[in-house]
Amino acid sequence: MTKTRKWPPQLGLAIALAVLMAGLAAARPGFITLGNLVNLVRQISINGILAVGVTYVLLTGGVDLSLGSLVALTGVIAATFAHPGEYAVVVPVSAGIAAGALCGAINGVLVTRGRMAPFVVTLGMMTSARGLALLASGGRPVSNLSTAFTRIGSGDFAGIPAPTWILLAVAAASHVFLRNMRMGRHVYAVGGNESAARASGVHVNKVKMVCYTVCGAMAGLAGVVLASRITTGQPNAGIGYELDAIAAVVIGGTSLNGGTGGVSGTILGALLIGVINNGLDLLNVSSYYQQVIKGVIIVGAVWLDRSKKS
Amino acid sequence: MQPLLQLEGISKSFWGIRALDGAGLSVARGEVHALTGENGAGKSTLMKIVAGIERPDSGAIRFTGSAVAMIHQELLPFPEMTVAENICMGAEPANAFGWLDKSAMHHRAAELLARLGVDVMPGARMGDLSFAEQQSVEISKAVGQQADLLIMDEPTSALSDRECERLFRIIGDLKQRGVAVIYISHRMDEIFRLADTITVMRDGRPVATRPASGFDEATLISLMVGRDFDAALVRQPAQTGEVALEVRKLTREAKFRDITFTLRAGEILGLAGLIGAGRTEIASAIFGLDPAGSGDIVVRGRSVRIGSPADALAQGIAMVTEDRKRYGFVGDMGVRENVTLSSLRRYSAGGFVRRGAEDAAADEQIRALSIRAAGREQQVKYLSGGNQQKVVLARALLSDPAILILDEPTRGVDVGAKAEIYGLIARLARQGKAILLVSSEMNEILALSDRILVIREGAIAAEVTPSRTTPEEILSYAMPQ
Amino acid sequence: MKRSSGPVAALALAGCLLQACSSSGSAKKGPVIGVSLLNVSNEFIVMINQAMDAKAKELGVQIIVNDAQRSADRQVEQVESFIAQKVDAIILNPCEVEASSPAVDKAIAAGIPIVNVNSETRSTPTAFVGSRDEEAARIAMEYIAKRLNGKGNVTMMQGFMGQAGQIKRDTGAREVLAKNPGLKLIAQQTAEWDRAKAMSLMENWIQSYGARINAVFAQNDEMAMGALIALEQARLKDKVIVVGVDAIADALAAVRDGRLDATVFQDARGQGAAAVETAVRIVRKQPYEKSVMIPFQLVTRDNVAQFH
Repeated sequence: MTKTRKWPPQLGLAIALAVLMAGLAAARPGFITLGNLVNLVRQISINGILAVGVTYVLLTGGVDLSLGSLVALTGVIAATFAHPGEYAVVVPVSAGIAAGALCGAINGVLVTRGRMAPFVVTLGMMTSARGLALLASGGRPVSNLSTAFTRIGSGDFAGIPAPTWILLAVAAASHVFLRNMRMGRHVYAVGGNESAARASGVHVNKVKMVCYTVCGAMAGLAGVVLASRITTGQPNAGIGYELDAIAAVVIGGTSLNGGTGGVSGTILGALLIGVINNGLDLLNVSSYYQQVIKGVIIVGAVWLDRSKKS
Repeated sequence: MQPLLQLEGISKSFWGIRALDGAGLSVARGEVHALTGENGAGKSTLMKIVAGIERPDSGAIRFTGSAVAMIHQELLPFPEMTVAENICMGAEPANAFGWLDKSAMHHRAAELLARLGVDVMPGARMGDLSFAEQQSVEISKAVGQQADLLIMDEPTSALSDRECERLFRIIGDLKQRGVAVIYISHRMDEIFRLADTITVMRDGRPVATRPASGFDEATLISLMVGRDFDAALVRQPAQTGEVALEVRKLTREAKFRDITFTLRAGEILGLAGLIGAGRTEIASAIFGLDPAGSGDIVVRGRSVRIGSPADALAQGIAMVTEDRKRYGFVGDMGVRENVTLSSLRRYSAGGFVRRGAEDAAADEQIRALSIRAAGREQQVKYLSGGNQQKVVLARALLSDPAILILDEPTRGVDVGAKAEIYGLIARLARQGKAILLVSSEMNEILALSDRILVIREGAIAAEVTPSRTTPEEILSYAMPQ
Repeated sequence: MKRSSGPVAALALAGCLLQACSSSGSAKKGPVIGVSLLNVSNEFIVMINQAMDAKAKELGVQIIVNDAQRSADRQVEQVESFIAQKVDAIILNPCEVEASSPAVDKAIAAGIPIVNVNSETRSTPTAFVGSRDEEAARIAMEYIAKRLNGKGNVTMMQGFMGQAGQIKRDTGAREVLAKNPGLKLIAQQTAEWDRAKAMSLMENWIQSYGARINAVFAQNDEMAMGALIALEQARLKDKVIVVGVDAIADALAAVRDGRLDATVFQDARGQGAAAVETAVRIVRKQPYEKSVMIPFQLVTRDNVAQFH
């Protein structure tokens, strides 16, 4: 009866990750070099930023399927303002983030005031945002971007790539927000038991609005980083990214029903997916096998994590 | 002759709270057996065990018939399907390829409905029918499944007089066919009209089973209420202060109407009545969980608009709800996070939670209410019912309300915790809180209240003073006329 | 009641927008040609589309363009509705070899001529306009063989596994590899035609093989651009040859700037124009060729100026 969480959260997942990395290091010594580790953390940045954002929404018990399309739309918008010699780099960056936040806020209004299922609302946004990205770009990639802008994706500081620093910053801020701030506490309460949260005086709609808006803003940030990394705003970028992001969050222990989990797990989840992708490329595993192995490792890691907890 | 159903020594606990304690029951073929008793006496649990919905912890069930069907208080139909599809659910006529035979389905439904004299078209959409019609369809379905034992849990609670008559006719018809009916009800007239045998339950076991002719209304009520009143419980009448809450003509269609009363600081006002009389709805309306349609709520002399619990809390009104699992707590969160949820603003600065202050507040509540948990971080879903209830109380109290609404504050709580909660309620009144107490337990409401309003079918039927009334009198006001 | 006014107004507004968007080509006399395109968010397809528009205007025919958004199902539905609208001819830019075949069968059965453009279906259309994907890969790989003097390590970035383009470009590349035993294919992997995925894949290859890679063949320019950026950031571009296919604007600019070594020009405009022209000839009962092959051209810094 008196059960407590004796097993620290995500320990099972951390073990799975360590085992996987040890195995890869043994099979391919090149895996554990400084160069590849830098490579790895750079490659998980975009999925990581998206996953941190969607963690907010999943914690409330919702879902956001529009992330991939928002990445494309915000990347195109940012790129439009990022041609050399036009605006300071802060303009495209804030335009991308603001566009993402606006789309997220629209999702939020439809979910709260419109009382529609998040799945439906964000599915609609997924389609509309993709269309808007095509309209805004005329169906063609927006290229010829300033070096100040492309440096966001390609630069580094203290040996660590800039996108990784961005991921670390949003992850740390989100961790503090969710764990230490009043609004963060309310996010968990809404996801854990929406009726009880309301009966406790929590402004449920306001909390959900914040979560969807933050998620959209993070998608905007990811879109900016992606556009900068591939040096174009691509209207067809980011297809299927929402699933990788949601997978990272769920692997990290956040319940799809909401109320439990958090950013630290999400980062571990994003790392696991990144290590699998990177490791299988290094081992030059055939494309067909890659997909099978990826699926098996993801399910296996979650199984290990959950069975340790119960 | 061997009885149709024989139960012996059935026990069942939920979360360490005993719902049934060695209950036995015997039902013969073609018998209408009324089961009555106070709320929480264990009637519904016992019937769920008979119907196979719950498993007993111990005891024996002997059933010699072919099938049991239960007509729930809240019907569980498939509203988007037709009447025929509902009736044939789970036993659909189909050919060898699994292809549904719709005409056979229609035919069978029409025949069953006609047999029971139910005037409903088999092709009608279930959701378009009235509650009474849906109920008749469910009964037809049970008969169609060859059930020879039918359990009805307060079947008339939502029926009009005419609909009741039709139901009684159907029950008479079933009896003729040798179907036994276990009929759970509080309504004296129905019980005496229908039942061959009456069993009264109390505290998880039957206290009397006799032929209906062996009872009269008065003995039945006293058997239901049971043990003599625990005089020690009776609270000293409080020093009451100013009017804290005034409710004027509060009305919500089909739920309650013209509810008017005042509540003073230091006073405990009880709301008595049967389940479904509208007490919870009144309390929820004042707290803003489900706002009223019309009427005024006046707090400390000022008329206020309460559209949500957040509004109510801002006015110094807190509530402990009846449905603890749904509205009471966030199970995945720890005791600390639950206790401070309504008053987190006080324990934060600049949006950040001050963990030191929060920990201290949580620890203080754990001590003050003797919440038995492995620590302030223990997830509330793992606590016993009584300790969960104390967590909910602590959350309400920490918001420092002037007005406290308690809806069934000791439901599903063990005896020890119950006594502690009584002590706490009395103490809070002494401290000057105005308390509105909804309770279905006669002893509880009589012992704690200064005044009692008896609610019957959504309206105030009477106001009584505990020292000058009896459980029998209250029950007589509460019973639908 | 009041609550419902919002959604109703929104739907009405959407209806008005649709009206406005579709009012481009109204009741003009002359043949009507229905066009179902693979995906208009693909730059190459956009170019085919533009060429079609221009040719249709020139020949005085009306074209109705639908976007199948990479779904063969949707494509078949679109062709069905063209048949129902009784268009004079259909131009199909197939999504898939097998799954888009019913579209061709249905049009033929309904007696409506159908012209496949850019890629093939299993069913035989009235006419085919396009280029051989194998040829594009052959041209690209031969360029690599020439630059490396027939000796070196090559990696190949594949398209979406199982798609006709990926399979044929694989075939073409392998033919050249077989003829040049000195060329060694040390790694091949899909990057799903996607620039960001190609960039990550290239980064991983750099970790694995480093400067041992002498050339990268990417089955389209998007992936070539991703590989290029990754190599530039690793400061390895001067040691590795990168070649793509399709000659999209970004790739042409990169060739002009001396960053990308080569791409293979697939004449989108030529295909689009020829498709419309063939369809119109069929409708007007003029002689036409059943198979119109638009040739590929290698684009390097020397001749990039000819391609805008």
